[in-house]
Amino acid sequence: MAATGTSRRGRSLYRWKEYSVGYMFLLPWTIGFAVFMAFPIGWSLFISFHTVAFKAEGMEYTFVGIENYRRVLAEDSEYSVKLLLYFQEVVIMIPLIILFSFLVSILLNQRFRGRMLFRALFFLPVIFATGQVLMELFRQGQGDLPFISQYGLEEIVASAVGVQFAAPVLGVLSKAVIILWYSGVQILIFIAGFQTIPGSIYEAIRIDGASPWESFWKITLPAMKPFIGLCTLYTFVDMFTFPFNPIMELVSKHMFLQKTGYGYSSAMAWLYFAVVLVMMLTVIWFTSRSRKSG
Amino acid sequence: MKVLAVMERFKSFARGRQGQRGKLMLLGMNSNDGWIAKLLLYIVLTIVAFLYMQPLLYIVTTMFKSLSDLIDPTVKYLPREWNFDNIVKAWKGLEYPQAFTNTLVIALFCSGIQVIICAITGYGLARLRFPGRKFLLFLVVLTFLIPSQVYVIPLFVLYGKLGLLNTPFVFLIPALFGQGLRSALFIIIFSQFFHGQPKSLEEAAKLDGASAYRLFWRIMLPLAKSACIVVFLFSFIWYWNMYYEASMFLSESFTPLSIRLDNLDRVLTGNTFSQFNIQLNPVTEGAKMSAVFLILLPPTLLYMVAQRWFTEGIERTGLVE
Repeated sequence: MAATGTSRRGRSLYRWKEYSVGYMFLLPWTIGFAVFMAFPIGWSLFISFHTVAFKAEGMEYTFVGIENYRRVLAEDSEYSVKLLLYFQEVVIMIPLIILFSFLVSILLNQRFRGRMLFRALFFLPVIFATGQVLMELFRQGQGDLPFISQYGLEEIVASAVGVQFAAPVLGVLSKAVIILWYSGVQILIFIAGFQTIPGSIYEAIRIDGASPWESFWKITLPAMKPFIGLCTLYTFVDMFTFPFNPIMELVSKHMFLQKTGYGYSSAMAWLYFAVVLVMMLTVIWFTSRSRKSG
Repeated sequence: MKVLAVMERFKSFARGRQGQRGKLMLLGMNSNDGWIAKLLLYIVLTIVAFLYMQPLLYIVTTMFKSLSDLIDPTVKYLPREWNFDNIVKAWKGLEYPQAFTNTLVIALFCSGIQVIICAITGYGLARLRFPGRKFLLFLVVLTFLIPSQVYVIPLFVLYGKLGLLNTPFVFLIPALFGQGLRSALFIIIFSQFFHGQPKSLEEAAKLDGASAYRLFWRIMLPLAKSACIVVFLFSFIWYWNMYYEASMFLSESFTPLSIRLDNLDRVLTGNTFSQFNIQLNPVTEGAKMSAVFLILLPPTLLYMVAQRWFTEGIERTGLVE
């Protein structure tokens, strides 16, 4: 009895020693998370239920319940319109980016001279796609595809998708090149994804008499499914945390307005985050399902 | 209906002999040796690359345009005469040497710190067993998803209380605790990398009596060299280009390049309100593009030197699993 008792205690002591190493490795991050993440997030949630007044002795909070949220949803005409418009744009932008980067990565995955040069070229925008530089380029009307205005595509778009959807479609088209600049990382992920498919499978299916066309649909695409999911997720996060998207700008604007203040803009940001989180979880759910079935 | 008809025609085309060749050219996974396919590949890539690079061309040519060229709508890309005033103006307006140093200090130190701390955290999450590991991993992913606007004001107040505002420490200290720019992404990269290493490494180290810390510093971190380089480069670029966070925490005295670009209009024209003016101002357009060029030059040079690691590193780190 005594022998087993000590050995069990010894084993649990040993186990805790092992665990403590793990906690040591995670310690700096956990401290940082508590101080620079959890605390500000909690505070901001607290503030979103209050109105904040800046006084000489510090900040003064008045509890208003869900009044801020109600005002954002019911009274702010700008917020819901911009949110809806931006979501429409993103819904168009994400497939565009994924499709573009997938096609380009197929091309770049071929063996040809100067492949590295082209790969380097397509990755270059990751360096340029800085907020401030991008804004400057948008402002100067750069980034639209030259043939859109030349061939009067605006009317074609309007008649094809209806007038109410024409605005986001055209908005996307007018900055198409810059939006495609967001595909740098996605192209890399796809190229890396192609490397995970062993070449012997292609040989086997070719011997079985399948054409490259069939092998693309039967092998390449199913094997790339998880990578497509990963890229979608990455693009999603990139688009929604981009500090220059109209919602973010609205939030920043209201922070320092006399009438609305920080409580109001916190409520705005939280509502936005809630919507994005729901959409994100849907994407994750879909990709994890496709990975299981695939 | 029309779509269906087109699809049908496309399918029959694909089945035909001509289609077979076309398919080989388009998708040919292992039949891209024909020179027609190669030529087509080059043409398509060149066109796409040109479209892709067009804004860049605009930056570089606008830099050299004089005011009369900027107003003249017939001048699209090439300026009539090459004008170097813009660069001088931008250099002075940005106070380039000083702003360059500021930006470099932040980018260099923060990304260096970030590599180490993210490697430590990623290693802990990937290779060590302890209760709550899954939960911590979940928190890491969560921090990746939260937009910074949600918590930026409390952070601002917090930094103000700590006396960090408008000093480089406002970025260095969070980076030291694994809360730098996109730290969560880097932690995930490292954790994926360490996850893919063989289990025998730990067993061998245990037999030799090496502690977990020794194992990490002596074996794991050197193994992760490629991941370290990728993380360092990305982190450097993102810190260099950082705008939103910098505009909140570094708006005075210790300002990086991106903030100065924002203020350039005001500096050059002396107009306090021009910051809010979305209209184009042809007087400063050339100077602004020169400023953009000056800002982008250092990371581009870095990219040219380290290009191989950028594009190949992601494959090697096993980020994609």
